[in-house]
Amino acid sequence: MSEVDKNQVIVPIGPQHPSLDEPGCFTITLEGEKVVNAIIGVGYNHRGLEKACESRNYFQNLYIIERVCGICSHTHSTAFCRAVEELTGVTVPARAEYIRVVVAELERLHSHLLWLGTACHEIGYDTMFMYTWRNREKVLDILAAVGGNRVNYGVNTFGGVRRDLDEAIVSAILKTVDTLEDEINHYLEIATTETTLMSRLVGVGRLSHEDAIKFGAVGPVARAAGIMDDIRVIEPYGAYKEIPVKAITDTRADVYGRTVVRILEMLESLSIIRYCLKNLPAGVIAVKVPRRVPAGEVLIRVEAPRGECIHYVRSNGTEMPDRVRVRAPSEANWHGMKHMLEGGYLADVPITIAAIDPCYSCTDRAVAVHSEMDSKVMDWRELREYGNEWYKKHGVDVSALVL
Amino acid sequence: MNREEEIVGILVKKFPFLQDRISVKKEKRIFTGALSRDEFEKIVRYVHDDMNLFRAHHVVGTDEGENIGLLYILSGDDNILLALREVVPKANPAVKSISDMYASIVLHERELADLFGAVFEGLPEGPSYPLPDGWPKGNYPLRKEWNPKYFNKETMTYEPPKEGEEKE
Repeated sequence: MSEVDKNQVIVPIGPQHPSLDEPGCFTITLEGEKVVNAIIGVGYNHRGLEKACESRNYFQNLYIIERVCGICSHTHSTAFCRAVEELTGVTVPARAEYIRVVVAELERLHSHLLWLGTACHEIGYDTMFMYTWRNREKVLDILAAVGGNRVNYGVNTFGGVRRDLDEAIVSAILKTVDTLEDEINHYLEIATTETTLMSRLVGVGRLSHEDAIKFGAVGPVARAAGIMDDIRVIEPYGAYKEIPVKAITDTRADVYGRTVVRILEMLESLSIIRYCLKNLPAGVIAVKVPRRVPAGEVLIRVEAPRGECIHYVRSNGTEMPDRVRVRAPSEANWHGMKHMLEGGYLADVPITIAAIDPCYSCTDRAVAVHSEMDSKVMDWRELREYGNEWYKKHGVDVSALVL
Repeated sequence: MNREEEIVGILVKKFPFLQDRISVKKEKRIFTGALSRDEFEKIVRYVHDDMNLFRAHHVVGTDEGENIGLLYILSGDDNILLALREVVPKANPAVKSISDMYASIVLHERELADLFGAVFEGLPEGPSYPLPDGWPKGNYPLRKEWNPKYFNKETMTYEPPKEGEEKE
């Protein structure tokens, strides 16, 4: 803050926002409207879950791990289950592997629909926000029917799954898939033809192919820059070894590219779900796994809606792990954020941050940096008064305006 | 010979001290045993510059008793994960940051600095991560000896029982 030039302004965005559950603090230095520097501050939500895992048994930890993220809970529980299954040498029944994939792709659908709505909201396109979230409700209804919860479905367990898919639920999923296909195709048409939306997203938050590699971008952020890093394809796991998966990539390397990638991925998810339900193997859905896990260590990679998710588990032969480490995809995508923001405009900061699919936090206060390097922290009331005075000096009196 | 064994062969030939200290755990997974700081620095420079392992996925911190383990996970075009395990003593946990080679490792190294007390030489300045402002110095929550039940969240103080005294 002390190294800003005169006439530069620092705007701290975050860390708290009333509607978002993942606080972050973005200290943006502006020259006019242009972002010249950005400091990314994350870590407000660190809950010590990994330490907690070390003093609980694997079954208790499954509940903790599923709560690492409310959006991709199934991804985390899948990765953790795979880790324990690999350490114990257990083979998961084929039917369970297929059910895991069905739930994973439903999760990808609801995550991408949620993202699409949020992204549209960030650029003031609230009609699209309403439509996509309406569709997301249909997916959540299905997930609730499968697992009993809208989030944290509790479908996974060590050695398989806890919930089977009967004919009625299969039929309901297929019906929802058909409805969603029409709707998502419509969103694709809007995204590729609606000039207002395109002009708002094209060229925004660029992260080139080279920079995406340099900063370790993953998931739709990397794939929109032409990097094919879909774990379902490059390192297929579970039923993905048998299911045809088309990895979606784009070359635009901006927020628009990330939007198109996610919409196309939703259509691919629908195909995967249909394939799974058509080829759902018969048989049991779980096998027993010993409570004591032999000593060893594993690195598991799975494809979360936001990209590569890594779980490291080290066991010591007891009922409790020695070490659990979760590297969620958003953690990888923060490294490129500074690069994506710098050179862009303040108005594009929200959508650029949203485009990696975290939640972003809104302004809680502003710091005005005056000439002669003076700086002052203002609350909202002071900032309004300062603004009113500034406008009054320039011939506009807005002080009577009630907000 | 598959690609994993080929990589192990290249590394053992270049660094004979890796003999019997590097193994293919399974398809797409290669792990090394404990490496000293000096050994690690030589290997990581080589795999970055000469083997084109351009991606650093993560670094996992582990408690190794008197030491801290840093498991660096790297990969290249073949998507094989190479896990290099650097081990340094807790008494002097100084390590060289690899952020000059891998820009994607900064946040993960910051985390190990906060949670394990590793001291990274060459890590760019920036906000700490992930512990909050005001976190008491010398408290590294992911070290095994640090017990959360002795941490007072209100006063942000850590008060373990004195020797011979067990706190309720």
